[in-house]
Amino acid sequence: MTALMEVAGVRRDFSLSRGLFARARTLHAVDGIDLTLEKGEVLGIVGESGCGKSTLARMLLGLLPPSAGRITLDGVDLAALGRRKLAARVQPVFQDPYGSLNPRKRIASIVALPLAVHDMGDAAYRRKRAIDMLERVGLPARFADSYPGQLSGGQRQRVAIARALVMRPEIVVCDEPTSALDVSVQSQILNLLMDLRQEFGLTYVFISHNLAVVEHIATRVAVMYLGRVVELAATAEIFASARHPYSQALLASVLTPEPGKGVPDNGLGLAFPDPLDPPPGCGFNPRCLYARPVCKATAPAAVADGAARVACHAYAPLYRKEFE
Amino acid sequence: MTALLQVEGLTVDIAVPAGTLHAVRDVSFSVEKGKTLCLVGESGCGKSMTALAMMGLLPKAARRNARRLEFAGIDLAGAGRKVVNDLRGAHMSMIFQEPMTALNPSYTIGNQMMEVYRRHKGATAAEARERAVFLLGKVGIASAGDRLGQYPHQLSGGLRQRVMIAMALMCGPALIVADEPTTALDVTIQAQILLLLKDLQREFGMALVLITHDLGVVARIADRVAVMYAGAVVEHAPTVELFAAPQHPYTRALMECIPVPGRTLPGERLGSIPGNIPALIGTVTGCAFRDRCALADASCAAEPPRHLAGDHGWACVRGAV
Ligand SMILES: Nc1ncnc2c1ncn2[C@@H]1O[C@H](COP(=O)(O)OP(=O)(O)OP(=O)(O)O)[C@@H](O)[C@H]1O
Ligand SMILES: Nc1ncnc2c1ncn2[C@@H]1O[C@H](COP(=O)(O)OP(=O)(O)OP(=O)(O)O)[C@@H](O)[C@H]1O
Ligand SMILES: [Mg+2]
Ligand SMILES: [Mg+2]
Repeated sequence: MTALMEVAGVRRDFSLSRGLFARARTLHAVDGIDLTLEKGEVLGIVGESGCGKSTLARMLLGLLPPSAGRITLDGVDLAALGRRKLAARVQPVFQDPYGSLNPRKRIASIVALPLAVHDMGDAAYRRKRAIDMLERVGLPARFADSYPGQLSGGQRQRVAIARALVMRPEIVVCDEPTSALDVSVQSQILNLLMDLRQEFGLTYVFISHNLAVVEHIATRVAVMYLGRVVELAATAEIFASARHPYSQALLASVLTPEPGKGVPDNGLGLAFPDPLDPPPGCGFNPRCLYARPVCKATAPAAVADGAARVACHAYAPLYRKEFE
Repeated sequence: MTALLQVEGLTVDIAVPAGTLHAVRDVSFSVEKGKTLCLVGESGCGKSMTALAMMGLLPKAARRNARRLEFAGIDLAGAGRKVVNDLRGAHMSMIFQEPMTALNPSYTIGNQMMEVYRRHKGATAAEARERAVFLLGKVGIASAGDRLGQYPHQLSGGLRQRVMIAMALMCGPALIVADEPTTALDVTIQAQILLLLKDLQREFGMALVLITHDLGVVARIADRVAVMYAGAVVEHAPTVELFAAPQHPYTRALMECIPVPGRTLPGERLGSIPGNIPALIGTVTGCAFRDRCALADASCAAEPPRHLAGDHGWACVRGAV
């Protein structure tokens, strides 16, 4: 496998003003991430709401510059590559289908827009390609001249997917592409994404809260917590034997369709993560059942465990004893 | 016991260039105090329109009709705009499917949360602020005081969704209509929110109409489920019953579509329902699912009979399987 994209030491802060006289606070949305994206893989990204997944996605798409660190595509810094060149190779499918579609444009022209931006063919050709793609994602041609406001949430998400795929990009960064979809459409979209991957050798970054979907489609999974990747491993490995305590809690919270079982208590308690005021040491320590003094003192570096990586002192040779 | 919410024969018609779109067709259900009804069904089947119709928030092009639409004994169909506006937000509130459309981008979330409370409860700014901070904490948002000063676009998708949930809870409503309230949340926060809603149901008897695609959520929190297809309820049953013995072919197909670890293999093709939901423009006759149903035959062109076995109902030419 070859690395297509590399993320090295990437951080992204936001400054939060608190009115005229109070000092602004810094929000650490992404707090030091190293990752590689291999050609042809489906890299699943999961993690707590607000842990920086979409911020990372926007940086991969060149829509937001990192505050520190570097992202490269085939060895070239995204900043040097330029937005248009990058957009021809890397396309997004966003979380919020409403916010990402222009309400005043008809569906067919929304989908055809990337083709127009890159001067591909004439208007009739672009419209035909847009309609073909709409049909592939399960939207019949009769929707071509509707406006986004006339579609249901799920139908709008299919438009966003069609728009991303119409350019035949190499990398598709999907930020919760199926969370607005019902299960039958979701399965169509997942089948479609897998077919297209085969057909065009696509590489996906796949952010989702639906762990069953991630297990189904991803080849590797990165688990994020409070701006960092806490575990990175092959999909089967994560789901069979997650290492990081947060990964374990996440998996324990999945609601399987078994009526009568109620909602389980995942034992995480109420010390919700706060990117405005991250705790010293390991970001997860206030909620961790296994936390030791060292976890409150120093942030764990990622250690290799086979092909996997985990950022937890319990796996570091230096501290392992303390957890026995 | 009389139900808190009673809906009978609800229809929603939307004027579109090609004619009239029958988005909701003769839908009936009721919800009792402290209970949860889940609405499930394919994208575009009319779940959000049903919710918006109850709240009196349909888009302009839509027309609502109902034999009965009653909340806490008040006839919502006959009540004036003022009455409905006073009920909405205070006694019945809605969690919208897309937070970005429900939150005003030009006001801070603190402003928006406090405004609801002050308007309905006549509270002071300080009281409203305290309530907002308390509820943001309940939905898992840390440093809530600082978050109040943020604008919606400065929040992650899941934070926005949680702000909307907290906002819907501000006045302690008797009924919440929640349209996909946890889709943007990770499963640990989802569990937190569902437990919070359950607590409110136990403590204050809050009733919940929950729209969701997630059959895991349905299984774990619904008392009853109504399955919608093409604007109509095709099956309704107590939750345990629906999962144990789904009767309508559409419900059964729906259950085949979800990846279930252990039952489906990673990377393998998932079950899907071939074809598309019908257009619903013009008159709809017979069973709307028949074009996609593996069991369909000529008899399905006629209006499907409604079966009722105990409190489990479905509309299909076929009887119990
Ligand atoms: N403003 C509108 N104008 C015209 N048609 C509309 C409008 N809003 C919705 N529709 C149509 O009404 C039907 C029902 O839409 P609704 O939003 O209720 O679906 P839904 O069941 O909530 O779907 P989803 O699960 O995707 O949110 C759809 O076919 C949709 O295209
Ligand atoms: N423009 C911005 N200004 C200030 N803060 C921001 C901005 N964009 C994001 N943030 C903050 O950065 C953090 C990470 O947000 P991000 O959207 O990356 O989370 P996420 O992991 O995608 O969450 P979710 O699962 O809820 O979508 C959040 O606390 C969010 O409020
Ligand atoms: Mg996000
Ligand atoms: Mg909807």
